[in-house]
Amino acid sequence: MELNNSKIKIKAKNLNVYYGKKQALFDINLDINQKEVTALIGPSGCGKSTFIRCINRMNDVIDICKVEGSVEIDGAEINEKNVDVVTLREKVGMVFQKPNPFPKSIYDNIAYGPIIHGAAENKDQMDNIVETSLKKAALWDEVKDRLNEPGTSLSGGQQQRLCIARALSVNPEVILMDEPCSALDPIATAKIEELIDDLKKSYTIVIVTHSMAQAVRVSQKTGFFHLGKIIEVDSTDKIFKNPANKMTQDYITGRFG
Amino acid sequence: MSGTGHTVKSYEEEMQSLNDNLVMMGSLTENQMADAMAAVIKVDKESVDKIVKNDGKINELRSTIDNQITTVLVKRAPMAVDLRITISTMKISHDLERIGDLAKSVAKKVKPLPVDLPNELIGSLRRLGDLVQKQLKDALDAYLNRSKDKAIEIWKKDEQVDDLTNLAMNEVATYLQKDKKNLEMATHLLFVTKNIERAGDHITNIAESLYYLIEGEYLEGARPKGKPVES
Repeated sequence: MELNNSKIKIKAKNLNVYYGKKQALFDINLDINQKEVTALIGPSGCGKSTFIRCINRMNDVIDICKVEGSVEIDGAEINEKNVDVVTLREKVGMVFQKPNPFPKSIYDNIAYGPIIHGAAENKDQMDNIVETSLKKAALWDEVKDRLNEPGTSLSGGQQQRLCIARALSVNPEVILMDEPCSALDPIATAKIEELIDDLKKSYTIVIVTHSMAQAVRVSQKTGFFHLGKIIEVDSTDKIFKNPANKMTQDYITGRFG
Repeated sequence: MSGTGHTVKSYEEEMQSLNDNLVMMGSLTENQMADAMAAVIKVDKESVDKIVKNDGKINELRSTIDNQITTVLVKRAPMAVDLRITISTMKISHDLERIGDLAKSVAKKVKPLPVDLPNELIGSLRRLGDLVQKQLKDALDAYLNRSKDKAIEIWKKDEQVDDLTNLAMNEVATYLQKDKKNLEMATHLLFVTKNIERAGDHITNIAESLYYLIEGEYLEGARPKGKPVES
């Protein structure tokens, strides 16, 4: 499978990350293609979550964390001092392992971001954003009659789709997903995977997953991390059928350690 | 099976058992082919029933392997080399089973043959049988040693199988022309020859599966072919 035809959306160059004295990422070089799903796999603590947190500067909130090297989105460096992280995170949304809706109504969960970013001028516009976002996240039909109920009243899978809708409400270009299905049952997982497939037409998606099968199902490109280093990046097809690196093979076939 | 073993010991055992069953199946098929060829060459009608009966063991192993593979797929969702081993084992076991069937068919043709089979017809047939048996042995050895080069060699050597098949068939046809009352015997011998040739084709399939197992890619290009068989 040819990997080089797609446009590169995110480019990490010589990225090193430290938590205090401990180095978490070592010279990461990774290109993430636009409107494609890139899966990051690797054992716990290998640095894959640390890596995606570099893409929207979530590591800024950790005092002892130091990031060196470069991450470019559309060719622009995001680690420059003058980059506004709020604007960056508007562009690069994130969905976490455990659904984390705000303790607010379903409607307000979606409206929260657009309010902060001043995206709607009136109630009609906001209604429209809420509806569109929920539709994009394939949740609208299930919640349209109960928008004022708390987000936390939804099932786990619905809450996760609510969080995806919340990320979509501010028109991001990139969506980072950190094990978005690990707390969900197979049906809720299937719905999220179906959604990811649909969303990749409009967004660039980076997903961290511990499920090999999920990586195969949802992604076009896969990167294998181990002990803070990228061991192998290739088309998902190649990685799971015939990886070039023995360490990758040992990991995905369950021969590790 | 790939240097380091699986973290899950039972997975390792399942893959090992799959391998053992395939090796066992290969060895039984090799014996069947050898017995069937010996029966033809010696026109040994007494050995036929035993050969026919033994085919059942090969079929049983094929079913066992099929079940094991279904279980591995469902339980382990094998990836990378495990996936390739699983898929190749399934394909190879089916080819072995077909070779077993063909050996059985060869043996069954011995019963209607005259005991005094003319020597001039046996030479090419013997050489064809020897070559196909050698190919089968080489394929099974290559599987055990994971030898890519050997797989390619076997694959290419099928051309010789085709050439010897043509030769054997032509000899039978010439013999038939001498006297039309040889028709029944000639027909049986043509079937025997064709069945051996088809066993050879299954052996090249095994070489292809083995190559995929090792390389993760398919053998490219058309297999070299001998002159078309006139049948």
